[in-house]
Amino acid sequence: MPVTEAGDDGKHLLTGATGFLGSHIMAGLLSKGRGVVIAGRAAGSESLQERIRKLLNWFGMEHLEGLLEFHETDFLKIRLGLGKDEYESLCGRGLSIIHCASDTSFAEKNRTRVMRSNVENLNEVLNFACASRTRCFHLISSAYAAGIDRLECPEVPVNSKHFNNVYEESKAQAEDIVSAKCRKEQIPHTIIRPSIVYGDSLTGRSLRFNALYFPVRSMQQIRDIYFDEIKNNHGIKSAECGIHIKDDGALHLPMRIFIPKQGKINLIPVNYFTKIILSILETPVNEAIYHITSNHPQSMARLASYTERFLKISGIEVVVGTAAAAEMRNPPEELFDHFIKAYRPYISDQRIFKRENTDRATGGVLPPDFSYEIFERCMAFAVSADWGKKLFQ
Amino acid sequence: MNDVLQTAKNCRHYAMCKIDFLGSGLCAPGAEKHYVCFYPQGRMDLYAALAEGRIPVTEKCVEIAESCDLCGKCDYQCYFVTEMKPSAVMKALKEHIALHLNSGGEVLASEKDSILDGLKKIVGEYWATNDRAVALTYAHDPCPMAEPRPPEYVIMPESTAEISAVITLLNRHKIPYAVRGNGSSVMGFVMSEGAVIDLGRMKAIDFDEKNWLVKVGPGVAAFDLQKAAVQRGFRVNVAEPAALVCANIMCSGIFSTFSASYGTAADNYIDAEFVGLDGGVFRLSDRSAPNLFALSKEAAGIPGICSAAYIRLHPIGADEGAAFVPFASLEQALDFTRECARRRIGLAIAVLGGEYISVFLSPTKELAAEVKDTFRDKLKIEYLVLVIGDQYALAAIKAMGHHYFDNRMIRTLNLGLPSLTSAKWLDLLEEFADGEPYSYIGLKRFPDLAEAALAPSPAQLVRDVDPELRPFFEKLYSRPEMTDPVWLNMFRIVSSRMGREKHVVPLIVYLPIDNKLIIEINSEFKRIADSHGLKNDFGFITPLDDGKRCVFEYDYYLDQNDADEKVKMRQAMMEAGMMIERFSAETGTVTWIKHVFAQGFSRKESFLYSAAGNEPCP
Ligand SMILES: Cc1cc2nc3c(=O)[nH]c(=O)nc-3n(C[C@H](O)[C@H](O)[C@H](O)COP(=O)(O)OP(=O)(O)OC[C@H]3O[C@@H](n4cnc5c(N)ncnc54)[C@H](O)[C@@H]3O)c2cc1C
Ligand SMILES: NC(=O)c1ccc[n+]([C@@H]2O[C@H](COP(=O)([O-])OP(=O)(O)OC[C@H]3O[C@@H](n4cnc5c(N)ncnc54)[C@H](OP(=O)(O)O)[C@@H]3O)[C@@H](O)[C@H]2O)c1
Ligand code: SF4
Repeated sequence: MPVTEAGDDGKHLLTGATGFLGSHIMAGLLSKGRGVVIAGRAAGSESLQERIRKLLNWFGMEHLEGLLEFHETDFLKIRLGLGKDEYESLCGRGLSIIHCASDTSFAEKNRTRVMRSNVENLNEVLNFACASRTRCFHLISSAYAAGIDRLECPEVPVNSKHFNNVYEESKAQAEDIVSAKCRKEQIPHTIIRPSIVYGDSLTGRSLRFNALYFPVRSMQQIRDIYFDEIKNNHGIKSAECGIHIKDDGALHLPMRIFIPKQGKINLIPVNYFTKIILSILETPVNEAIYHITSNHPQSMARLASYTERFLKISGIEVVVGTAAAAEMRNPPEELFDHFIKAYRPYISDQRIFKRENTDRATGGVLPPDFSYEIFERCMAFAVSADWGKKLFQ
Repeated sequence: MNDVLQTAKNCRHYAMCKIDFLGSGLCAPGAEKHYVCFYPQGRMDLYAALAEGRIPVTEKCVEIAESCDLCGKCDYQCYFVTEMKPSAVMKALKEHIALHLNSGGEVLASEKDSILDGLKKIVGEYWATNDRAVALTYAHDPCPMAEPRPPEYVIMPESTAEISAVITLLNRHKIPYAVRGNGSSVMGFVMSEGAVIDLGRMKAIDFDEKNWLVKVGPGVAAFDLQKAAVQRGFRVNVAEPAALVCANIMCSGIFSTFSASYGTAADNYIDAEFVGLDGGVFRLSDRSAPNLFALSKEAAGIPGICSAAYIRLHPIGADEGAAFVPFASLEQALDFTRECARRRIGLAIAVLGGEYISVFLSPTKELAAEVKDTFRDKLKIEYLVLVIGDQYALAAIKAMGHHYFDNRMIRTLNLGLPSLTSAKWLDLLEEFADGEPYSYIGLKRFPDLAEAALAPSPAQLVRDVDPELRPFFEKLYSRPEMTDPVWLNMFRIVSSRMGREKHVVPLIVYLPIDNKLIIEINSEFKRIADSHGLKNDFGFITPLDDGKRCVFEYDYYLDQNDADEKVKMRQAMMEAGMMIERFSAETGTVTWIKHVFAQGFSRKESFLYSAAGNEPCP
């Protein structure tokens, strides 16, 4: 059943606005003239407002700061760490909630932190949802919360016992908790599951340079190491690995990328993500789960060839399977493999994400095909931003 | 102040020019004439005093200046440690004296003195003097607490009998005296307005391999002893290379990274020979000997002159190597250190901070500063725990789940330091670690990749070294031992670089490896120094007695020629001392090294455990 969206004053309370997707949601809402209540945290000496102001500048939306409201929160604390008056006044506003804050580390070593951020933190956020009788609670989850028990993943609650990592596991648990609590308290809610989000397909701009960007950045650094070695240090180490500069100036860098399965990588651009989520927010359907995913995931071989073209290198071979234990890998191969270890499940993914609810909500608008032009635009931006280091300069 | 005088006044008195630690040869007049004034260190002091008109030209001044042939060896040595080139001072000294003589200037002869005659009768004409120029070079060190005190006499005995006779004579005339090794304790201990007894001529080294000991004279420096021991396949537990072994034991008991397994203080020797304060000779193993094993709270000054020590020999394993285990916090580094010590993993163990690592590895101050930033900001390494051990110890560290830089990687890092500081790919290592910091170090082929990326070579490492000295340094760094962490730990030739930028004032305590306590004391040391605007940094921590205790050094740094900074340093040292005493009183487990001074022959238990010796005998 469709839910009437936004509270009395038409605003959403948004968590995770200092992050990649959260900031795009914020910018999307602002571009529609919608006010947003930001619940987030300071970073070191930088206040929440200063952090968001930096992002507004990046979006070219500094003039819309007046539509924002800031509340420095701590989700682990009672009343979100807010004073009684501030909390109660927020509760009285009937705001819709978009919970986008999440720890996105995949590392098992960070299990406690990830679980605390993605699962424990929900308690107080959901208490607020109940206390404020929110119009609708939107949980930004992940397509990969589906787990690895089934290849076909419909837009239904998670029914998997096995996951690639703690992140997926925590997202699945979060979905469970949100559905149960909201159902019990009769709070309308949705779960939104994007796949892997990269930069803006039209401008190439991005705020995060992980996922798709990691392998390209690794490859760029490896290329530069050997280029330098050949140019300045006689290329002895390069020669040992069969690395050389070709007549056309490109670097021949023979290396194999091992992927466990013949799978693909499911990518969507952030501008598509924003567009779709704004449509969902317009007419959310209670208890609906939305997959913001691609029906045409990319093969690693295609990405490798894009990378070769972009970085002017050759010699990359995608191999399905793992390197035999005794097989001597060359140093770039081993380092690259190490770098992409956490992403391995996502670059050879066989899961198929159904997206009926999303198509229904958006009239079937699909993400653009991930062409070389889009790849180049995004990577050129990443390089110009020095992979994030010069983002706000 | 001109550059030459500036150099002269910045001599640190760490005595590194008194040992041939680079294999480039010793200052020949120094090696022959032994008095410190014939070494570059003494010449620096002498020139500064002459240039500032603090002393007249004496007969010895002329001898000292003329004995220098401007060979330039001191530049290699001094530049290695301090980045200074003393030969400019040596030249200025020669010019000063030549000008003085050419212009008919007076040359002051030694005054006649019956006591001096008596001393000369004991040690020989040349080995006792009251020349003011010689005295000046025994008058001070950069310690901010000590005022210059030129001695009346400087005496260089050659045997136990001579020491005994000298002491008897001085006692008879009630002349106070100080005993001096190489003076590198730099805490104002080796000055006296009476006499200074310099033991630098007593350099005998006699091995008794079947008893696993070596008998050393009080003039034997740590470096020379280690060299002789290694030539015979042994190792000794020594610390600063220029420190004389007997002096170092007496001063505070030798503590080094190897103290983790070899111990400290009385653990280091098997026996010792002394000339008592009354001139009598005794062996520590004599039943009637004074009990130097126990620490005395009332002790003031040395209990006698050690005229020989029988030092323990340790075996060297053929499969020894080093592991530098990186950590992002002191707490993690301490946990690992404690674990290794309790499990008796490794021979040498030390927690090192960014300051030491960068300064030790870098041939110049500038590079050291960049390296320090690189370790902290790019590699996210705040502390490295050094463990030296055999293959089983190193395998155990891996089994404990730690990745570490091994000998090969340390060599690569060291010779590739300039590339390391500018390497963009370093960012990836930590950014991509996602919860597994430093895991890249564990990759099988990472050393190859690092070699490709850093292009390690002696030429690269020394590219910013003074052009005149660069060829020498390039050759020096092509010697394998110069980048071998095991060798470097045994011979310690890089550690005095900690005083390169400024003179180092170490604050040392013995305490349990209790994270909270150490972190609290560490931040108190820092707070105090910061409040006085003094450069300061964590030094090192080495576990003792199977990790039940440790020795912790925190360093304050001083511009020894800045009067204001000296005042601040005095204040800071006083506050730090009070702070340590407060922790001592509160915990009953913290001992300030000050209470061990001049009692380093005692058992380590007497200062590591406060109960020792405190209970009255029933
Ligand atoms: C950069 C630096 C780092 C250091 N690091 C360490 C370290 O890691 N571990 C460590 O243990 N020490 C360390 N020290 C301290 C130093 O090495 C010791 O103080 C050592 O004693 C200095 O040796 P020396 O020959 O110069 O002694 P001196 O300074 O000449 O004498 C030290 C003391 O011993 C007395 N003495 C000298 N010879 C005798 C003798 N034969 N009999 C009786 N008394 C004598 C002197 O009167 C004086 O009190 C460091 C010093 C420096 C400058
Ligand atoms: N990016 C993708 O490709 C992708 C794909 C699928 C799903 N998602 C989902 O989208 C959401 C946003 O991802 P993202 O890529 O934007 O991540 P991001 O850039 O890392 O941002 C994470 C946001 O969550 C906040 N946060 C993290 N831990 C928190 C905690 N303990 N308490 C309070 N706030 C916390 C962060 O705040 P600080 O800035 O203060 O740290 C930041 O605002 C997540 O739920 C993620 O699971 C993302
Ligand atoms: S230049 Fe003079 S002081 Fe320096 S090492 Fe040579 S002889 Fe000694």
